[in-house]
Amino acid sequence: MDKVICLEALTKFYGETRALHNVDLTVQAGEVFGYLGPNGSGKTTTIRTLFDLIRPTSGRVTVLGLDSRTDAREIRRRVDYLPGDIALYERMTGHELLSYLANLRGGVDWDYVMQLTERFQCDLKSRIRTLSRGNRQKVGLIQAFMNRPELIIMDEPTAGLDTLMQQEFYALIDEVKAEGRTIFISSHFIPEVERICDRVGILREGELVTVEHISVLKDRALHQLEFRFAQPVPQDVFLGLPGVHEVLIEDSSVKCTFAGSPDAIVKTAVAYEIVGLKSHEASLEDVFLAFYRRSDTDVA
Amino acid sequence: MLRNVFLKAIQEQRRSLFWWVVGMSTLNVGTLLFYPVIKDATGINELMQEFGPLMEPFMGGIEDITSPEGYIHSQLFSFMIPLLFIALGITVGSGAIAGEEERGTLDLLLSNPLDRWRVVVEKFGANLVAMALLAIGTWVGLVVGVLMVKMDISYVRLAEATIGSALLGGTFGALAFALGSAWGKRGAAAGITSAVAVAASMLDTLAQFVDWLEPLRFASPFYYYNSGSPLVNGLDPLHVLVLAGLTAALLAVAVVTFERRDLGIG
Repeated sequence: MDKVICLEALTKFYGETRALHNVDLTVQAGEVFGYLGPNGSGKTTTIRTLFDLIRPTSGRVTVLGLDSRTDAREIRRRVDYLPGDIALYERMTGHELLSYLANLRGGVDWDYVMQLTERFQCDLKSRIRTLSRGNRQKVGLIQAFMNRPELIIMDEPTAGLDTLMQQEFYALIDEVKAEGRTIFISSHFIPEVERICDRVGILREGELVTVEHISVLKDRALHQLEFRFAQPVPQDVFLGLPGVHEVLIEDSSVKCTFAGSPDAIVKTAVAYEIVGLKSHEASLEDVFLAFYRRSDTDVA
Repeated sequence: MLRNVFLKAIQEQRRSLFWWVVGMSTLNVGTLLFYPVIKDATGINELMQEFGPLMEPFMGGIEDITSPEGYIHSQLFSFMIPLLFIALGITVGSGAIAGEEERGTLDLLLSNPLDRWRVVVEKFGANLVAMALLAIGTWVGLVVGVLMVKMDISYVRLAEATIGSALLGGTFGALAFALGSAWGKRGAAAGITSAVAVAASMLDTLAQFVDWLEPLRFASPFYYYNSGSPLVNGLDPLHVLVLAGLTAALLAVAVVTFERRDLGIG
């Protein structure tokens, strides 16, 4: 079992509105896959087709090798789901809700549920309608992890969580990954994606713009080195070096924007007397923003 | 109580259902307590006769309004009891699938290993239980009232008339349930069903006065509720079959339409 999720030419229309267009995507067993895109780009639509909550207009969806239309119940048995903006039964307590969901699945390991409850410092005794956004999200997370499924699909999993709980969530993700299980999350919080994901797919207006390893995307990010030299240095010294995109000179200070390795720039700069040096790590955010805004060909 | 969708649906309804049952049985006992006042007022019958055929449709084939059957029919089974059954049917019917969909919890429920048809059938079953409990409350209220004022009427006939009302309410409840399952919109399902119920009731009444409407009488569920006078004659098996069959057909519509569509997220 290599392909855990497989989308083939998935297209979805809501009436006249196109939500997804020809999406092809394969998620491998054991990876943490991040599904990114601005609001309304089709992330939730994709996820809901995986559980047969909505049906593709055309194309095919398989999860764990099972067809989303004909084997929906088996998929739901083996995969757990944290819906985005999760709605829970307001009048139940957290404990009642988890009991109900466990009963629908034929039981759960309560020791593990209690472990999760403790880790997330979750209040299972209060009625859900009295809980804050973050505390509801914790109940949602527990129900998504408690059955130890082969695949967990989560839509915006850390929405409403404080930083401490986010860290706990990342730790849990690491454990699930270490057990060889697969995780598919949608997010628009880039540092989170950078922290936990192996690969990402970027969605824009219903089209999958790119699918790439995080490390590859990071290499595409632009960095900046700022030198202060003892004397002014001619601009053409740095221009044309491998990876250099832009050189800005102001008196005796030089700002080099580049991608990849700084090796050539540093080796060139040491020929001059350096009195100061600053390095700016470019954020992955800029790379994603570029994908969100422009078409694939512009970026590649 | 949280073992499955069916039991959870019953558990969710238990509080409001308790008040439905209390309200219905109180109405019945309270109404019957006034019977001794009416019993000897034979003038009412003379008054009714002056209206002549105009009043017939409302009398369910009963001549003497001061008889136990006449009183219970005119005061309860001609309007209030079926109305309450229809109201409960529409409330629980429209809320079952559409209510859960509008609250957004359907995604969570259907991410569990359940077939859609099964969720529909279990929720429908819970609604039937609600109607049955209201029927029991109705009958108990009637029996208590009858005992208190020492009326001479068959408990079996009271049960049959109550079952008839529950079947009528169940039919409109099933319509609201099917509309809610097909569309996912609770308010629309309840509103449309209420309008249909009013129209069906008017059709049944008017068809008794207006010649050209006469053949259409059979299209109204109220015909199968009223025309056999169950309080006097007992339930007509054919009428029971029509209402039960209509309910079953609407359940089938709910299953098929819900199976086929995209679900909303509130």
